[in-house]
Amino acid sequence: MRGPSIDFERVNLSLGNTPILEDVSFKVQAGTIHCIVGANGGGKTSLVRSLLGQMPHSGRIRIEWHDSKVIGYVPQTLDFDRSLPITVLDFVAMASQRRPVFLGVSRERRKEIADKLEQLGLAGKLRSTLGSLSGGERQRVLLAQALIPEPALLVLDEPTTGLDLAGKEILEGTIKAFAKGGGTVIWINHDIVQVTELADALTYINRKVLLDGAPRTVLANGAAAHLFPTLILSAEGART
Amino acid sequence: MSWLYHIPRDYIIALANANKIHYSFSYAFVVNGLLCAFIIGPLLGGIGTMVVAKRMAFFSQAVGNAALTGVAIGVIIGESYTAPYMSMFSFCLLFGLFLNFSRNHTKMSSDTLIGVFLSISLAIGATALLWVSAKVNTHILDTVMFGSILTVNDTDMNVLMVTTVLTAVTALPLFNQMLLASLNPSLAHVRGVRVHLLEYVFVLLLTILTVACVKIIGAVLVEALLLIPAAASRNLNRSIRGFVWWSIGFSTASCIIGVYAPMRWDLPVPSGGAIILTSAGIFLITMIIRMTLPRYREASV
Repeated sequence: MRGPSIDFERVNLSLGNTPILEDVSFKVQAGTIHCIVGANGGGKTSLVRSLLGQMPHSGRIRIEWHDSKVIGYVPQTLDFDRSLPITVLDFVAMASQRRPVFLGVSRERRKEIADKLEQLGLAGKLRSTLGSLSGGERQRVLLAQALIPEPALLVLDEPTTGLDLAGKEILEGTIKAFAKGGGTVIWINHDIVQVTELADALTYINRKVLLDGAPRTVLANGAAAHLFPTLILSAEGART
Repeated sequence: MSWLYHIPRDYIIALANANKIHYSFSYAFVVNGLLCAFIIGPLLGGIGTMVVAKRMAFFSQAVGNAALTGVAIGVIIGESYTAPYMSMFSFCLLFGLFLNFSRNHTKMSSDTLIGVFLSISLAIGATALLWVSAKVNTHILDTVMFGSILTVNDTDMNVLMVTTVLTAVTALPLFNQMLLASLNPSLAHVRGVRVHLLEYVFVLLLTILTVACVKIIGAVLVEALLLIPAAASRNLNRSIRGFVWWSIGFSTASCIIGVYAPMRWDLPVPSGGAIILTSAGIFLITMIIRMTLPRYREASV
């Protein structure tokens, strides 16, 4: 599956009188992992939601699709009534099939879901309710649904928040494998160590694009030390 | 369309006349009530699961109250006060759409806004209806609030049948999309779901079926049947499949027992009340099971 390339051209977004994004321009290359970092409230999620067509904006977001136009999306959280009787199988199936889930899930789709869950370290969780999962497990279920059917573009909004080390490694491995297979990844990420190790490109946004480029080049920039000094220190610590 | 229920009605009456079932079923109006129970039970039980998932429990109550105003308007413009469907549907659809529009544009939480509309619709409806009922000298307020399943006629059953088909044809193909949108609208949008449009579709559907059921089981009981069987089913189930089917089962059983039991054992309980008491009994049993048996507790962790 060959992922798309994406061109953000002078994207502007305001909520009421508050500017959220100002002249945001950068490119995402096809088949790469592109991380978007920045302070809370800096407009990262708004930018991603503009890309997904969920926020009115000016400027242009040009997506050049190749093989397919399927987008997989992993939201930051899943806000739902925990007592609702929805199993992991129900949830992933409802996002990917037309037949009402209470009438059953096809054998092929069930197998596909079970395989994906196993790949994400959730073997045996098919019949667990969403409400009974830990936060980290739920994040991996969200990734599983995003990967069925196989997308060309994977958009992740801080999926590793709340994950333990093992969960992080599984998730990182899955995302790396996806990009290696040609898919494009846009990943909102606060973990600069992870960004340094996994991303092909990084864009730092705080209303405007402040830094953009390959992670090591960007982090070598003097401005980076000013923008996230503690993060850089921890990244260097992790590398040594 | 009436042949659909003429055949089973004649069959049940014949059984009663041959003393194979209780004699009360030799009356057409009792059989009509039973047939309605067979339709309303699955209809409200199934849609009720979506109402619970979308946290819109009191929406149908608000629409039911709006039906009071609809009836009053119907009487004023000359419709029959026993079946003013045109004015009820028209007013309630406008009411439901306006409520949803307000919810989308004020960003207020559903329960608060529905609560506000519920109170307003009751106040306007009760005032309008009392004024009108004084003119026609009848107690329409009671009929709209509590219905009368034993006085349904062929028109009521036709309306109910059309509503049931419409609900099935619309809600079944959209079930997954509606549920996904209630869990995470953003995720649903990425999956190609037109979230706002679906909200309106669901509101329209809920309004139509509430109005169709108001004459038969009343505004109060529509809400109860949308809510209680789904809540009872949620107590026992861990999957959507069980949730929906058990809710349909509980709701249908409540309707049938509610119509049959008072006739069979000469109980001094109206059918509507008996339906809700049965459904409440089922809910209490499921609640006790959930509280006492550990295997049912997982979902609420």
